[in-house]
Amino acid sequence: MRCMRPLVSVLALVLFASACGGNTTERVLEGTAADIFSGTCATGEGQEVTIYSGRTENLIEPVLDAFSCETGIDVAVRWGDSTQLALLLDEEGDRTPADIFLSRSPGPVGFLEARGLLGTIDDAVLGLVAEENSSATGSWVGFSGRKRVAVYNLDAVTEQELPESIFDLTSEPWRGRVALPATNGSFVDWFTVFRDQFGTDVATQWLDEMVANDAKYYPNNRSIVEAAGRGEVDLGLVNHYYNYQEVAAAGDAHRALNHDFGDGDIGSLLVITAATITRASENTNEANQLLGYLLSEPVQRYFTEETFEYPLAAGVPAAEALPALTALEIGSVDFDALGGGFEETTRIIEASGIANQ
Amino acid sequence: MTSTMPTQKAPPALRGVSLVLAAAFSFPGLYLIWRNISTGADPLGLLTSQRTLAPLWRTLKLAVTVSLSAAIIGTALAWLTMRTDIPLRRTWRTVLPLPLVFPTFIGAAAFIRTLNPGGLANGLFNSIGIEQAPELRGFFGAWFVLTLFTYPYVYLPVAARLQRLPGSLEESARVLGDSAIQSFRRIVLPQIAGAVAAGTLLVFLYTISDFGAVQLMRYDTLTRAIETNYLAQPAVAFALSLLLLVLAAAVVSGERMLGRRTIAPATARSTRPVNYRLGRWKPAAAGFVLLVGALGVGAPMVALIDWASEGLLRASRNGRPLAISSDKVVEAARNTLESSVLAALVAVLAVLPIAFLVGRYRSRIGSVSHAIVIATFALPGILIALALRFWTLRSGFAGDLLFDSKALLIFAYVVRFGSLAMGITLVAVQTVPDRFHDVAATLGANRIRRLRTIDLPLMAPGLLAAVGLVLLSTMKELPISLIIAPLGYPTLTTRIFGSFEDAFVAEAGIMAVVLVAMSATLSWFLVLRRAEHR
Repeated sequence: MRCMRPLVSVLALVLFASACGGNTTERVLEGTAADIFSGTCATGEGQEVTIYSGRTENLIEPVLDAFSCETGIDVAVRWGDSTQLALLLDEEGDRTPADIFLSRSPGPVGFLEARGLLGTIDDAVLGLVAEENSSATGSWVGFSGRKRVAVYNLDAVTEQELPESIFDLTSEPWRGRVALPATNGSFVDWFTVFRDQFGTDVATQWLDEMVANDAKYYPNNRSIVEAAGRGEVDLGLVNHYYNYQEVAAAGDAHRALNHDFGDGDIGSLLVITAATITRASENTNEANQLLGYLLSEPVQRYFTEETFEYPLAAGVPAAEALPALTALEIGSVDFDALGGGFEETTRIIEASGIANQ
Repeated sequence: MTSTMPTQKAPPALRGVSLVLAAAFSFPGLYLIWRNISTGADPLGLLTSQRTLAPLWRTLKLAVTVSLSAAIIGTALAWLTMRTDIPLRRTWRTVLPLPLVFPTFIGAAAFIRTLNPGGLANGLFNSIGIEQAPELRGFFGAWFVLTLFTYPYVYLPVAARLQRLPGSLEESARVLGDSAIQSFRRIVLPQIAGAVAAGTLLVFLYTISDFGAVQLMRYDTLTRAIETNYLAQPAVAFALSLLLLVLAAAVVSGERMLGRRTIAPATARSTRPVNYRLGRWKPAAAGFVLLVGALGVGAPMVALIDWASEGLLRASRNGRPLAISSDKVVEAARNTLESSVLAALVAVLAVLPIAFLVGRYRSRIGSVSHAIVIATFALPGILIALALRFWTLRSGFAGDLLFDSKALLIFAYVVRFGSLAMGITLVAVQTVPDRFHDVAATLGANRIRRLRTIDLPLMAPGLLAAVGLVLLSTMKELPISLIIAPLGYPTLTTRIFGSFEDAFVAEAGIMAVVLVAMSATLSWFLVLRRAEHR
């Protein structure tokens, strides 16, 4: 049948393409991973560890390659979106193949902890970070931080205008000029801490006033930084990380900069990315070893030098380009104490009507 | 003209196979119902709350308007490229299906990057006297982007239908004095109505399930409410998803009732299709096709190429090196090609029995199976992924066998996109005249022989269009590719997502350009081969 020939040809192409793949194992690392570990790779003894990672491949894979090379432990990863991976872990329960879950932000970790799906991390690993950067129950440990900042368009906002505090943004001069990633995980986490620190009434009132001041809704940090670069919005509340990436990619052509709120302002909170071990894990030794590795000196250095994040362990100082840290850290807030915190936060954000702005 | 109103009783084997297929496609729906029960969700209670009704209303408003505009644009493009002497017909046939392949999370972002104020097309706008481009956002932005992303759902089936439609009737009509427009309305439209309806239904279902485009356009629909509630209030997310599914099922059933009047052509393949001369309308028609192509494919490509070239230049200027190697791109491209081709072939094979059952016979099993396959398209992909994980964990040995396998991934894609193949395949089945079968049967041809010598050749353009639709859609699929793919089986879309999430725009751009180039090659391949048989 002639008409089926294209299909057969395509299939042949696929089979050919599949046949010419194949991996070779290398004894020494190359590229970024080699900056973390430059020695000869160890021979494995069949140990393995499986990770569900809400942190993305470009940033985390060099670390995992280095770990695998240095220890001989095989690492398998499912890369994905933190929320979706948390849902998957919930669905899989005790039958999950995952030993470790790496989350972009604390929300999904809180969800899993509430469901009792997290195991306990070894004290030796927990002790590698300051007390506020790990869970009191031992269910999670922070391994890097991203700071909340304001990103602003250089041509639309003068330096004198820049706000001291997020509370300034509800005033008339900022009408219609500010963007909020109101439904994004990082904002939801931040708002939950905001409620915890200032009380739900203050936080809710601030958000309602922002809505009344015609704040604009954007779905995530990245889209706000991009819009600020084009001048579509004047200023937005985001993670510090994205503007560094944009500048690294586009240089001066990108017309936006980060601005730090004043010392101690809730607007400059440090939001940690957390590592957890699943309750179902049967490879807890390897999993703890990997978590410890994330907190080791070369890896912490990598996080701050290469990925523009804040280091949390091993005495590594933050890269010079990063703004100084102020006191507030999300780690200082107890997930357990928050209880239904994220659920209530979501309800308040929905009720504010920000998503229609 | 004979009507193919089915009368015969279906063979038991066909009914049995369809039943099994319907069961396979109902996994996500059953999971959703179970989750509504297990979380104590209250979908009916939600229906009376303003917090549900407002986004539901916006969802419906958007879906109806996008369906209308995509139907008109898709049909017009199909007619122009299949029936007229518009310049560069071959090229347009390759290019016009391509908007299907943009993953919306990056496609919509690329649109914004090109067209919005301060964007890449700013200079172009200035040079033609537009000082400030309108900001694409809200209802208008969502309508605009989704129309451009979804018209291929109409274009592909209608183009396939036109290709098999004999020109003799149109020629007679013209001889009798009808204008091109009159003959289109009186002769062509009734013949392609089934294909237009099937495609428009897909546009509607896609629009109500879309999250990527509406969220970037900041238009608050039901899917945003679902997305926000997954972790915070799972019961609400599951209940809202069930509402989506019920809405989809209602619309699908409605379409079936209207769609029963498909008319088979009196003669098939008897003459070459007519080719209208556009004459003085040619510039306008060419301008229209060019505009759709420029907006639907060109605008996002400008931003993607800009991101990609910036990254490549940066690497060559000894700037920060790219975070992906060419090996990784090749690996992801190979996996994308393999999984999408397999999914496309399996999807068409899977819906074929149901299409025969519905198209040839009067069968309740057929109608229900058809509705299940199509309505599933309205579900967010993540729910299909979670549903499959749920079922494989609860099906013992078979589940262990499938767990983390490529077979399960292909199955998930087929469940997600079988709907795309269903409509076109059904139209293809219905357009094979019964008379041919009767004659063939009289001449002693058995069922298999009849299928091979009569049905498949006549249905070929429709089936190829179905393959194309599933292929391009699978290539861009994200949630299933992330959640169900075996560990260590990256696709282009998963790597684009990972890069884009952390603002590695150069890496995301490069891989998106590869994705589009790959799908253009496949699209060209299907178009070219199809053209040879004319």
